[in-house]
Parts: sequence; structure tokens; C-alpha cells
Amino acid sequence: MKRKLLLLSLLTAGAFVANAQDSTQTDPPLTITGSVDTYYKYDFADHANLPTSFASDHNSMSIGMIDIALKKKVSKAAFVGEISFGPRGQEQSLVPGASGDSYHIQNLYVSYDITDKFVVTGGYMSTFIGYEVISPVGNFNYSTSYMFTNGPFQNAGLKFAYTFTDKVSLMAGVFNDAWNSYNTISKMNNFGAQLALTPVEGWSAYLNVLTGKTSGTEFDLTTAYQITDAFKLGLNAADYSAADDAGGFTGVALYPQLAVSKSVTFGLRGEYFKTKSGVLETFGPAPGESVVAITATANIKAGPLNFIPEVRLDNMSNDAVFTKKSGAPSKSAGQFVLAAVYAF
Amino acid sequence: MKKLIIVLLLAISGTVNAQTQPKDSLSFDENNKYIYYRVEEQPTLTADTIYKRALHFLKTAYSKDKLKLKKQEDSKATLQGEGGFMVSKKALVSKHEDAKITYDLIIEVKDGKYRYWLTNFVVIPYERDRYANFVPVKGKKTPLEHGLRVLGQKDLDDYLEKVLVNSRGVGERLKNFILSVAPVAKKEPKIAPIVKKDW
Repeated sequence: MKRKLLLLSLLTAGAFVANAQDSTQTDPPLTITGSVDTYYKYDFADHANLPTSFASDHNSMSIGMIDIALKKKVSKAAFVGEISFGPRGQEQSLVPGASGDSYHIQNLYVSYDITDKFVVTGGYMSTFIGYEVISPVGNFNYSTSYMFTNGPFQNAGLKFAYTFTDKVSLMAGVFNDAWNSYNTISKMNNFGAQLALTPVEGWSAYLNVLTGKTSGTEFDLTTAYQITDAFKLGLNAADYSAADDAGGFTGVALYPQLAVSKSVTFGLRGEYFKTKSGVLETFGPAPGESVVAITATANIKAGPLNFIPEVRLDNMSNDAVFTKKSGAPSKSAGQFVLAAVYAF
Repeated sequence: MKKLIIVLLLAISGTVNAQTQPKDSLSFDENNKYIYYRVEEQPTLTADTIYKRALHFLKTAYSKDKLKLKKQEDSKATLQGEGGFMVSKKALVSKHEDAKITYDLIIEVKDGKYRYWLTNFVVIPYERDRYANFVPVKGKKTPLEHGLRVLGQKDLDDYLEKVLVNSRGVGERLKNFILSVAPVAKKEPKIAPIVKKDW
């Protein structure tokens, strides 16, 4: 009798345990991803010359940043928090706070799927403008284009995105009046929109606009077409007009890339960048001048590690920016970079 | 003692039976494509019943991004679905979507049996976008048969294992639907309200 009772008790307990396990539902896990990057650069003039972002230190083994992104989505609600430490992730891409502190934030936003096709997102986000991004994982080239350096990096705001079909979606939103800033100067009065198109499979195109009374207006086309398994062609074109006719720039860049094996891809970036007349000084040519920059890059992957050797030659319409080894003005400049990016 | 011998014999015969069942695995079909193929006997069920239950399975068993009905051919007693599942590389503290593997599921029924196969496995790699989300790489789709060249041996082996596990899971769930008399739907148990005034 005792044995039967014991057996019955065990069976009952087992049933409870099984039931408890069946009914347990866990939230999707917190996702942690990120990257670290480091590089060596040698400028052919034996001193740093190029004014574009990142890879700035000459003849130095230098660091980019450690970047850590946290993400969680439960049902329809999601958040992303991305923090960065290092020159690339602080002074070179983030505007410090009022007291000079860096808040280390690259992305900090929440989103909610109002329906399967309609999503609202609010917070501090990477800009939707342009081909290149701050994260070294998101770029093929390690150095950056003039259009990237002179465009917005982040835009804080509230945006709504609607997916009409698999091939068409539209984003529109209001953003702070200052680019790359955690808060407004005075108003949240920038308007931004992005029409995303997929004309054929493998071809994506984004038509972007960001406009505001004090920050100016930038139109941007970013497109990429994976023409074959091995060959991809990207294009970025942008036009920026600063507020009060202070100047601006126009630029276009082509990004052909050819994968020659599973681990090795070669690519070029050819950019033409021209500044408009005005008082606005860009990170590049003086107002009314132009530059052509050719960058040859390879991506050599070893698992999560990506080695990026790169040679870049820039040729400007005047000699006001670059200098030779002797210090004399020069129309041209060049550099070699070897970078390593580890993504996790 | 006799009972003990009978129990032991039954246990041994069960083990032998389990060992002689063909072990399901991925194979190649006549077109050199990976295929997970099974034939299941259900002698007590008519073709019509199995068909209706399989149709119900394709419509309701998974969310539409995981498996949905693609084609319904009543005259041929054939159903076709399309599905996909995410594969992730998981480390101790980090995990993100590495790729999505899509596939076709074909179900054919006859009186007392049905067969199904999963094939056309395609790997769509994912990459990090500017908002720190992982999204499909546009224009990159690799049939699993070409995986060695594009993915390498280690990733291919990993993906093949995950395809097999997923295929088994789909097959098991299909079987549960076929065996269910009524459409499978979870009902929340009703808890009788407590009426405080009657005591």
C-alpha cells in the first residue's frame, strides 16, 4: 500500500512538473552584439593629411572603438541601446554634452509595431542619410567618404515607417533641429523622409530628404545592386544646402565590389565631392572647390575577423588643404591603411 | 519471475524495433537537391480527412513568417507550403541572427497514408544595419547545395544539422495535426469565479 502511495505521489509530482514546464513561456533573449576595430595608417606625406572621418592617426597603431549593442524585442515592443568607447565612438562621431562629457551613445531608441506594417520609433538613432555608417562592420572601406563626413551621423527624433509591399516602404518623421545632438537647440522642427524601393531582387534604393530651418536641407540617394553572386555595385549621391545660403556640397560616389572567394572581396570607391560657394567650411575642399578620391580596399575575412588593407589617393582642385612631406601645399594626398575589425 | 522475463523481453523487442526503424536524415533527390522525405502510414484515416488536416496544419500551425500555404491542388491531393527559420551563432553572452533558411514543404495524401518532403533550402545571410539590427543581405541567396563554396564546411555542417532538426520538428507537428480529431486550438481553462456571499 505504501509503495502504491509512493508511486502515485511520484506520478502526480511528475505530472505537475511536466505541466509547469509546458506552461512556462520565456521572453526572447537579450541580444548582445558589437565590434572592436584597430588600425595602422601611413600617410604618404609622412603626416596626417586627409580630413575625412576615422583612420586619422599617421604612422600609429591606433584604435577605433569598442561598440556594444543591446537589443530586445518582446511581442511588438523593442529597444536598442548601442554604446561606444574609443576615438571613433566618441570625439570622432559624437557631439559631447554641455559639460563636455561623452554619453557614449550611438543608438538609443524604442520602437513599437502598431501593426505588422506600421512601426513607430523614437529616440536617438543613426541617420537614415547616406551610404556609409559609423560602425566599421557596416562599411566596406575603412576610411570614409567626404559625403559621409559632412553629412549627419545621428538624428534624434520620432519616425513612422509603413511597409506598403515587399518592394515599397516609406518613413517620415520629425527630428531635432541639430544633427548629431542628443537634444534640440531650441525646437524639434526638422522633417525627414525615406522612400525605400526594391525594384528587382537584390537591388535596393533609398531616396532620402532631411530638412530644417537651421540645419539646412540634404537630398540623398543611396542604392546598391547585387548584380551577380560575386559583383555588387553601390551608388551614393547627395546634395546639401546649408541654411541661409551659407554654402553646402554636392557629391557622388560609386562602390563596385567583387568577391573573388568566400573570404576575399576587392572593392573600389570613387568619389567626386564639390563644395558650394558660401561661408560654410566643410571637412574637405574650401568653398567652391572640389576633390576626387579613389580608394582601393580589400576585405579578407577570417571568421569574425575582417582585415582591411586599403590604399587611397585624393586629388583636390586647389592646394589649400593637403601638404607635401616638406610642408609645401599640394593638390594631392594619399595613404595606406591596414585595419582589423572583429564583429561579435 | 515470469512477469519480469516478459517485461525484459518487451523492453528488448522495443529497443530492437527502434533500432530497425530507418533513421530520418537529409538526402539528395533526383535533382541533386537536399530533401527531407518521409512517408507516414495512417491506416484508419481517409485521404480526404488527412488532406483537410494537412491543410489546417499549413494554415494554422505556424505564424506566416515561419510557414504558410503556398499552393493548394485539391484534384491532385497535394499541398505546398513555404517556410523559413532563423539560424543564430550563439556565444556565451552574445547571440544574433546569422541567416534565415527558407524551404518548400510538399504534402501528398492517399487513403491511409501521406508523404511529405522539405526541399529547396535556401540560405539568406543576415548583416548588421545602421540601427544595430540584423537584416537580410539584399540579393544574397545561396541554395544549400552550393553551401560549401559560399559558406565553408563548418557553417554548412552547422546549417545542415539545423535544417534536419527543423525538418523533424515540422514533421512531428504535421503528424500531431493529422492525428488530431478536431482542429488543434488551445483553450484557456475557465476558472469559476468565487462568489463571496454564498458561504
